Amino acid sequence: MRTTEGLREVPHANLEVTNSYFSVIDTDYVYKAKIEIYGRNLGGILVIKKMGPETHRVVFTTEFGSKIFDFLFEGDTFTKNFVLEDLDRKLIITTLEKDFRVLIKENVAVVQKFTSENLEVYKSVSDKSFNFYFSNTSEGRLTKITNTSKRKEKFEILFNSIVPDSASEENKIADSIDIIHKNIKLAIHLDYLKNN
Amino acid sequence: MRTKYLLLFFVLTTGVFCAQEKVMSAAEIVTFKKQVETTSKATNTIKSDFVQYKHMDFLENDIETSGQLAFKAPGLVKWEYTKPFKYSVIFKEDKLLINDGGTKSKVDIGSSKMFKKLNELIVNSVRGSMFNDSDFDISYSTMNKFNKAVFTPKDKKMAGYIASFELLFDKNDAAVLEVKMVEPSSDFTRIVFSKRVVNSDIPDAVFNN
Repeated sequence: MRTTEGLREVPHANLEVTNSYFSVIDTDYVYKAKIEIYGRNLGGILVIKKMGPETHRVVFTTEFGSKIFDFLFEGDTFTKNFVLEDLDRKLIITTLEKDFRVLIKENVAVVQKFTSENLEVYKSVSDKSFNFYFSNTSEGRLTKITNTSKRKEKFEILFNSIVPDSASEENKIADSIDIIHKNIKLAIHLDYLKNN
Repeated sequence: MRTKYLLLFFVLTTGVFCAQEKVMSAAEIVTFKKQVETTSKATNTIKSDFVQYKHMDFLENDIETSGQLAFKAPGLVKWEYTKPFKYSVIFKEDKLLINDGGTKSKVDIGSSKMFKKLNELIVNSVRGSMFNDSDFDISYSTMNKFNKAVFTPKDKKMAGYIASFELLFDKNDAAVLEVKMVEPSSDFTRIVFSKRVVNSDIPDAVFNN
């Protein structure tokens, strides 16, 4: 598969890989969001908040503040608190649920490890799909998650940069994030809103 | 004994707070409506700064955004957010012209009755001229320096999106000072206007994307 091209498999001692970008309880992670879906543009504000050890709330509103969707992730349980009627289609909701579940999931069991000169890549299994966590060793942080089926890449999440003053390991805040789908025309771009 | 005093304190202070906001009498409503109508008729353009507070119960802090508003009679409105991001919407006939940090798009709202209504609300609320709208139950109250009108949608579908729409008016000149949109969940968006300039010249080009 393309995802692991140029990498070599190494034995792994790590039992878990961690994504700590949304891991601090009671922090409002507020982002300006731009969604491009089949050539249409949709803007808004995305808020992610960790409410408890296994609980995240993910809310998307328009710039005016009216809610577009409001999701709750509790462990493996997913609740739609609110979805704008026009958007409430099974395919859309399932796609968004998967995207955000991968985005916020903190601790993931590792099944394989790969490396290259400046990358450490951890593979994990989730349902029928796989997630590859790319950690850049020179930057010392998670830079990409690639979600795949057995053969094909489905989507990737790029943590392009971090907020400069959020340097401590557990408080790192992603400044710019891209969620890019490979099999459907859907791309989500997120920019952290600094004054919140 | 102590509890008794505490209770008394609460009863008294609650009384004080309630006294600040009084329901308008029928005569007061007539006068107030006339005042708003007169102001509205004499208003051809409005420029104003605004700060928007998005309150959601689960957040630690309200989300604060700010920018400028431009209005030109009869129905051109431009909302322009400049902080902390650049985003503008122009309400023009049945269209929304959006510029999202350089990405421009156009939304046709002619087909959706509810969006049309929402837009009408926004456009009309800038001037305050929405008392003849039969789609809402309206209640009026008065405070020390302000008059307040609360609009509650009659339509069930609309009520699923907006529980109420509140406008706060300056008692002296009937200018809209604040707009508050309350969702059924009780989360709300509050917009506070400042540095309002009326009837300055605003070229039509401002309302092009």
